[in-house]
Amino acid sequence: MHELSMADAMVKTVLDVAEKNDATEIIEVTIEVGKLTMLNPEQLKFLLDVLVENTLLEGADINIVELPVELNCNLCKYSGLADMDGSDHYLAIVKCPECGERNVEITAGRECNVKNIKIEKEEGDEDA
Amino acid sequence: MHKIADIEIQHDIMIANRKLADRNKKILDDADVYSVDVLGAIGSGKTSLIETLIQKMDHKIGVIAGDVISKFDAGRFEKYNIPVVGLNTGKECHLDAHLVEHAFGDMPLESIDLLFIENVGNLICPVDFDLGSHIRMVVISVSEGDDTVEKHPLIFKEADLVVINKVDIADAVGADQDKMVADVKELNPTVKVIKSSLKTGQGLDEIISSIEGFMNK
Repeated sequence: MHELSMADAMVKTVLDVAEKNDATEIIEVTIEVGKLTMLNPEQLKFLLDVLVENTLLEGADINIVELPVELNCNLCKYSGLADMDGSDHYLAIVKCPECGERNVEITAGRECNVKNIKIEKEEGDEDA
Repeated sequence: MHKIADIEIQHDIMIANRKLADRNKKILDDADVYSVDVLGAIGSGKTSLIETLIQKMDHKIGVIAGDVISKFDAGRFEKYNIPVVGLNTGKECHLDAHLVEHAFGDMPLESIDLLFIENVGNLICPVDFDLGSHIRMVVISVSEGDDTVEKHPLIFKEADLVVINKVDIADAVGADQDKMVADVKELNPTVKVIKSSLKTGQGLDEIISSIEGFMNK
């Protein structure tokens, strides 16, 4: 369960950027999490809600967007989205959706990205 | 007056770890040290396997022993009079590249040529954190149940070498060791899978030759 350390790193990143940009309020944060990270978005959201208490982030909308898995097939050279249908999402890392080959390389789906923030600041402050 | 501003951050926490891992790998390469990240569940036999390799391999070995409380494993390695650094993770369930970089400060890299980094016993969280090691060796035991591989696919997908340990007790615990091998191969068709028993010595020579094969690549 490393959601706590990841959430902590996210909060620090956001607060750092907000401070550098003289934010008086943080309105919205968007975080992208790849479907193959070992992070549970619901746990992540819960921990973020706890960590933002008494910070500039308290009250901000925190959007967690899950990113899809992409792979390269070493046999048919397919490159693109993995088949995420079905109940077991890990099937996606096993098989090429085109030819069924299991020797594939994962190219996306392991991100944990603080994408952007929307802040409020005093009019007249220069952009950082 | 207030104004609203949208600010692109694009800071990937995973990439931050990966950059540190790349730096760790360069430190190891510059020191001519080959490194093996040893992963696996609690009780799979990681520490015992490393102890055996220390005794059997003809290399100058060092160990970074990562654990929630690391002094127990570190103490076991210190008996062999080799450089050992214990890494306490406290509440954390995995090692990360930053912790390993800190451990390098206490590890005399110039006097070793093979470094084992024993990760925290866990088949889930360590997968997300590259440490900068050259290979990842995953150690599982038949006593974890023969559905362990299916339940934790990503760690096996990412492994360079898989050891299925304690096969001498497979019948006693009702585990189908060949199913475990087949499950790994299904996830990672090119990976080397070795059935071993530290009690009988089965598979040890193969583990050693596999690690040395990677070192000589």
